[in-house]
Amino acid sequence: MLPQRFDQAKPFLTLGLALLAWLVVPTAIKRMARVSFFELQAPLETTASYVRDLQEFWSLKTRSKNELIEAGRDLARLNAAYEVRLQRDSALRNELERLERVLKLPTPAGYRSEPARVVRRDFTSWWQQIVIRKGRNYGITEGSPVIYAGGVVGRIREVYAYTAVVELVSSPGVRIAATAEGDTRPISYQGGVNPTYGPAVGTVEYVPLDVFVSAATPRRLVTSGLGGVFPPNLTIGYMTRVEPSSDGLFKSGDVKLDASLSTLDEVTVLVPEPPPSAR
Amino acid sequence: MKRRVLILFAASVLLALLLGLLNHYLAIWQVHVWCGGLFVAFAALRLDYRTGALAAFVAGLLLDAGEPVAFGTQGFLFLAAHAVVFTVRARAPREETIIGVVVALLANLGLFLALGFLRISPVVEPAQAWLRGFADLLVSQIVLALIGPWFFSLQARLLEMTGTHRRNFARRAF
Repeated sequence: MLPQRFDQAKPFLTLGLALLAWLVVPTAIKRMARVSFFELQAPLETTASYVRDLQEFWSLKTRSKNELIEAGRDLARLNAAYEVRLQRDSALRNELERLERVLKLPTPAGYRSEPARVVRRDFTSWWQQIVIRKGRNYGITEGSPVIYAGGVVGRIREVYAYTAVVELVSSPGVRIAATAEGDTRPISYQGGVNPTYGPAVGTVEYVPLDVFVSAATPRRLVTSGLGGVFPPNLTIGYMTRVEPSSDGLFKSGDVKLDASLSTLDEVTVLVPEPPPSAR
Repeated sequence: MKRRVLILFAASVLLALLLGLLNHYLAIWQVHVWCGGLFVAFAALRLDYRTGALAAFVAGLLLDAGEPVAFGTQGFLFLAAHAVVFTVRARAPREETIIGVVVALLANLGLFLALGFLRISPVVEPAQAWLRGFADLLVSQIVLALIGPWFFSLQARLLEMTGTHRRNFARRAF
């Protein structure tokens, strides 16, 4: 029989041995196990999101006809405004293509828009992510930018069979090349620590010294298009404070992100497509 | 043993799903509930070592799968928490639900702090990150205290229903 002291240490000895064994397990096996565990949970979470959608549908069914008529009227006005914009956009696109042909410029790669419903929001102090209801089955690729009506949501971190994980722009550690609206000089944006009961926040670095903002006069921060992940001129947030950094060469400060980031139900994935010449 | 582990795993999947749903709605207020201690406490207090350790480890891997951490981080932390609770369990009336909840709360506190040290990036302001972390921890402990008795009861009932009643092996160590 083993001495009592050794018997008490047995759980810790087992833990140590298991840890050693885990370290020598090939990465491919760990990756396969991770994907299997995720895919095991995915149908349950997706079903829960469908149930939520059904709940929303039934709650909308309780609305009166007058409310629906008013909503339809507002939507018709919006559609008319968007029709005008689409026509203008089409004319500009034709002009751009004509100039590209005349100047023999290469056509930049485009994006295919893929709308997707949000399955789960996961906002911890360590990371911020959402799971969406489209994955490899819709050709979603890792690193694709994700946007919504208010601007940038984040980028795809992992793609699974029917779902994908989006790392949000508010997640600490996420970096995006940005510019202040109306300026072409690059600024570095990074997600920050998001306080409880408040909107998501981020930070900016390498802001030029002649950029002045305050909480009363915030300035829009947009994607620069550098790095090739995000298309240019998408809203990231609003710079509310900038102060000279310790080296005195640049400024750094805070960015207030859209509060609706934490209530998103639908997003659009921009799946990169090869330029027409490469197709 | 395999059947018991599978039953506890099914209970863990259910708990993870429910906590995921809760966090989905709490995201509006930037609050996150993490109840890792609950995945460990029942198995460590009432089951034999092998079954409990395996169930805790698998539950940790289940949580790791959906999070941007090294796969196995929570698995081994749960295994370590299980080893600690298992070693000291003889000193308390471990069949009592209240003791189970207290152990789950303590395990949750320890695991949350350990994960915090592993996860908080030195690039981000650590003071602010810990402040937010403690707010999450407070909410998590309240939620754990509320749902703890239900989850213990669920696990016990599931084991009973499948004919693997815990009393048959509750006093066995290894």
